Amino acid sequence: MVDIAVTVNGATRRGSVEARKTLADFLRDDLDLTGTHVGCEHGVCGACTVIVDGRAVRSCLMLAVQATGSDVTTIEGLAPDGELSPLQQAMWDSHSFQCGFCTPGFVMQATAFLTAHPEADEQQVREALSGNICRCTGYQSIIDGVLLAARRSREG
Amino acid sequence: MASIAAERYTGASIRRSEDPRILTGRGRYVDDLKLPGMLHAAFVRSPLAHARVLAVDVSAAQALPGVAAVLTGADLEAMTVPGPDPLLAMMGGGGPMPEYSLLATDKVRFVGDPVAVVIAESRYIAEDGCELVEVDYDDLPPVASAAVALAAGSPPLFANLGDNIVGPHKRHEFGDVAGTFARADRIAEFRIDVHRQQNVPMEGRGCVASYDAGSGHLTVHAATQGVHVTRMGVAMRLGIEPEKVHVLAGDIGGSFGLKIGASREELAVAAASRALGRPVKWVEDRGENLTASGQAREESFDVRAAVSNDGDLLGLDVTMVIDTGSYPVMGTMVPGIVEAMLPGPYKLAALGFESTAVATNKASYVAYRGPWASETFVRERVLDLLARDLGLDPLEIRLRNVAPRTEPPATMITGRPLVGVTTKESLERVAQLVDIPAFRRRQQEERARGRYLGIGLATFIEAAPGPRSPGGPEGPMGMESMRLRLEEDGIVTLFTGQMPHGQSHQTTLAQIAADEFGVPFEQVRVVVGDSDVVPFGLTGGSRSATMTGGAALHGARQLKVKVLDFASHLMEASARDLEIIDGQVLVRGDPASAIPLGDVARQAWQAASGQFGADVDTNLEVETLFDGGEGGWSGGSHCAIVEVDVETGLVKIERYVAVEDCGALINPAVVEGQIRGGVAQGIGAVLLERSAYDEDGNYQSSTFMDYLLPTACDIPRIEIEHLETVPLDEDVNFRGVGEGGMIVAPPALVNAIEDALSPFGVRIYEQHLPPARILELIAAADRG
Amino acid sequence: MSWPGRPAGNFARVKSRGASDDAWRVVPMKLPVVAYEAPAALDQAVGLLAEHQDEASVLAGGQSLIPLLALRLARPATLIDINGLRELSWISVADGWLAIGAMTREYEAEESQPVAAAVPLLAAALPLIGHEAIRSRGTIGGSLAHADPAAELPSVALALDAELVVRGQSGDRVVPAAEWFEGYLTTSRGPDELLIEVRFPAAGPATGVAFLEVARRHGDFAIVGLAASLTLADGAISDARLAFAGVSDVPVRAAEAEAFLVGERPSSDVFEEAARLAAAGLDPPADLHGSSEYRKKVAATLIRRGLRAAADDAGKRR
Repeated sequence: MVDIAVTVNGATRRGSVEARKTLADFLRDDLDLTGTHVGCEHGVCGACTVIVDGRAVRSCLMLAVQATGSDVTTIEGLAPDGELSPLQQAMWDSHSFQCGFCTPGFVMQATAFLTAHPEADEQQVREALSGNICRCTGYQSIIDGVLLAARRSREG
Repeated sequence: MASIAAERYTGASIRRSEDPRILTGRGRYVDDLKLPGMLHAAFVRSPLAHARVLAVDVSAAQALPGVAAVLTGADLEAMTVPGPDPLLAMMGGGGPMPEYSLLATDKVRFVGDPVAVVIAESRYIAEDGCELVEVDYDDLPPVASAAVALAAGSPPLFANLGDNIVGPHKRHEFGDVAGTFARADRIAEFRIDVHRQQNVPMEGRGCVASYDAGSGHLTVHAATQGVHVTRMGVAMRLGIEPEKVHVLAGDIGGSFGLKIGASREELAVAAASRALGRPVKWVEDRGENLTASGQAREESFDVRAAVSNDGDLLGLDVTMVIDTGSYPVMGTMVPGIVEAMLPGPYKLAALGFESTAVATNKASYVAYRGPWASETFVRERVLDLLARDLGLDPLEIRLRNVAPRTEPPATMITGRPLVGVTTKESLERVAQLVDIPAFRRRQQEERARGRYLGIGLATFIEAAPGPRSPGGPEGPMGMESMRLRLEEDGIVTLFTGQMPHGQSHQTTLAQIAADEFGVPFEQVRVVVGDSDVVPFGLTGGSRSATMTGGAALHGARQLKVKVLDFASHLMEASARDLEIIDGQVLVRGDPASAIPLGDVARQAWQAASGQFGADVDTNLEVETLFDGGEGGWSGGSHCAIVEVDVETGLVKIERYVAVEDCGALINPAVVEGQIRGGVAQGIGAVLLERSAYDEDGNYQSSTFMDYLLPTACDIPRIEIEHLETVPLDEDVNFRGVGEGGMIVAPPALVNAIEDALSPFGVRIYEQHLPPARILELIAAADRG
Repeated sequence: MSWPGRPAGNFARVKSRGASDDAWRVVPMKLPVVAYEAPAALDQAVGLLAEHQDEASVLAGGQSLIPLLALRLARPATLIDINGLRELSWISVADGWLAIGAMTREYEAEESQPVAAAVPLLAAALPLIGHEAIRSRGTIGGSLAHADPAAELPSVALALDAELVVRGQSGDRVVPAAEWFEGYLTTSRGPDELLIEVRFPAAGPATGVAFLEVARRHGDFAIVGLAASLTLADGAISDARLAFAGVSDVPVRAAEAEAFLVGERPSSDVFEEAARLAAAGLDPPADLHGSSEYRKKVAATLIRRGLRAAADDAGKRR
């Protein structure tokens, strides 16, 4: 067992974990942050995406022990105090999602992407989100939500 | 028309009430659940497609620290009741139903067949335990295809069946088949194959089962499309009285037909919980979902078409073989629906249809969004192939053959009336939107430059729920039940057996009830997912818009009558003069008289017996049963424009247009989301997705590296236009839309690809067209 | 992509390396028990490798290794996590070479101006590696040490005759790319050696590049990929580099085609002949995503298109 200390959504969280436990499982099982979802466990579907030290990362492709000392933001950390982030709000307004299982991964990936590329056009948004799989929506409503958020933030 | 007082919500894209929790990661899916003392299950699965199980040695696994128990097929047989799959039992397949155990006992019948279950402190340890279980297999020759299953002497999967025919060959004829074919100008023959593909929801199957020895109650937290079907299935197999089984469902990460009833693994987990007296969780991982949860659509069709020289499709004679995989679930029922739907909205005068269902050493055939979809694929492919042979335009041949809308309506040769079908309108409109003549000009120009563009049309109807049959709807897909109650705080609660898994029922049903009853949207609560509380129901078959929407509308109306009857005693006015607006009860025309609904309700619920008079009903609750009203078809026409790179075989969809008629829309954004999601699955089926087995029955598509799902770069903007519908019912004209996209997108896309490759003489008789296959088709056409 | 020991597309009959003969597995998804070391300094890491050798796997970005562990296809006794070795994360251009520390993240190289300026072929290939989240963690060294023949970086390294620097207990060794890729997921790295640095020759002014791939979807591994580089002198090709991904168990140089191109002037006919020569020498594997014949055809197509793109790029850079 390895002792770790990870900053998660602004708070230091400690744990004692097997080396083999993924960051995704640590978040869900040890920290009860079940908003991060597990869709494939081999790094393809993106449902487990979180932000680590400012970068979107697949938490099923990171070991919990590798996150010690890092700054992790999960879906639960985007809207503290219940107020939605502008992206979450735009996605609500755009009917972006249906069953919701892929949602946290998309929201985290899009959050990281928009922060780095606020001027992105539709094709760039599609490429940036092409590593996240949704089975319900056909993606258009998700893309629209991201583009709406970008447009709103440009218009101030 | 509708007496909806203020249609503020119905017809508008109201934001979903599900979204605040979905967007913030506070949904409650099965894997999010933790119960005190909960254990985790993992299954040992067969690596062989067909083998005898000689011995299962669990001793090393049992000795692993952290493992609570290891159960074999024999162990589970001893603690359960034998029987067929719960869904099959519910729907009544009619064919021979092999009974089979929850875990393999003497035989394994597909790669991934569960052989033992390890229950441990964590999923990690459970998988460690699985590695320590030693199974002694004796290989048997695999029945790896329908052809092998049909061959004499193919080793039977089930000893009690004798062979691998699980749906015996049967033939039906409608109209004068022999005469039609004798008189036809020409007979065309085709063999069309649809490939094996699967649901792949982003959340796998799973449950947490928790047995309480004290009360003898079993609680199952499930991911299911209907809590009662799951409850009945669990009760039956575990030999528990149904009233002692409580099924709860929270948020569900998609299903598309997969999560109905209870799978063998879920039943095993429930039995394990009872044996151990502790909660047990099992949520399948992606490998299990792809390998073992079930697959669909692998069907082949030998088609003979009787045609006139002018392009009239006079008759079809079709022989269907369906590969239902190993443990039969619903594959045997699909041919009957395919047969019934094959004529579609066309004037087909004669249909001969025969089918055989076979078992093979593959994962079971399960329901997948539009299980009968192959009928549209076959029919729409045949029309294009005939058009090509006859030198007709694909739009022209369809318009020629569409049944005109008449009064009384035309009937399909297989029986159902084509009431309210707007196929002609949707075909003409989609053609107009796309501007086919302009496309043809562009196509010519681009061909001269070595670029291959193509256009494809397809049309469909789906029974969503379809016109009411004379006998009335029956069974779980029959009448729709709903309970509605006005709570003490003024909230209107709808209790429904629907189990949304992406369909947004908590929003759409509230829209209808809010409008009909007269309250703000936020004052309606939709309760789902508790078998102790909700009436019987099942989300499936694209029925909920009509059936549940109608139950909500009529139920709200009935509840309103009751409430106003009671309120009339409080307000000393005739019920006729009362109305409910914005959550207030008032005398019409007298705003000062308004009382909040909560006040009315509180007085009713707290009334002493007879307080308002012996004949005054203070029970502000109604139960309603809706039979579908004059429910009709949904349908539409889709058009795809593609470009095929003939050097790599890659296909780009340049434009995709859908003209849909699904009646009145409850929530346009929800409707369009359903259509786009279905179309995306259809695109995936053609370009990317295949559940591939080799000739030894080894499964090859067991990760997302090999079973490829479409991404945001694969699905174009899908343009949708809704047709002004033909209202059939006085009040309920919402029709379902869940399955249509998945039914009609594959033929639209394949038609477009064939059109793009027509300069090469390519003809396409299959649904799966990865890049390598497209190059093969071009090369073969070149040679032939 | 395929997994070690696995007939492409088939999981059922895979035997886990290190497990007993009887341990046939069908798709596990949780990692097996493994010991874990996280050295804080490079010499410590090298020492651990000397100690554990083949019983250890080096954990760099983890984007390839962790799925192999989850599927229990890799069964090392120990993981040596080198993410703490900050001294391996650097980029420098000097003396006509771009040198990159092995732990440099793919996204860092992708965003690096010096990389784009010095080795445009590398810059062209980087955005095609998986998706952004993969490149957040994946490393330049990790990709080359893993040596998936369908991946982008191995073909770039081979095309440009990159040099790979490994360190063992006895010191450093420089391995030319042509000697690095030995077989499927197998390199000439000794079990006690750690890849610490990769060097690419900086491109000259008259060099044009293209990295093309045919993949099932955006971001997928290449069914066939091509790293192409052309240097022009007085309108004729003075140097041609062509390396394929996805056509063998290692990246492959189209040496005959390269030799043919030198001295030729860019034209459709010349590219056609180069394509014919390049494809003729190939015997690609077949899997769920394409037959051998299909891969040969696509390889030829990529040569034609890649040479055209590289020639156009050379024209722009002059």
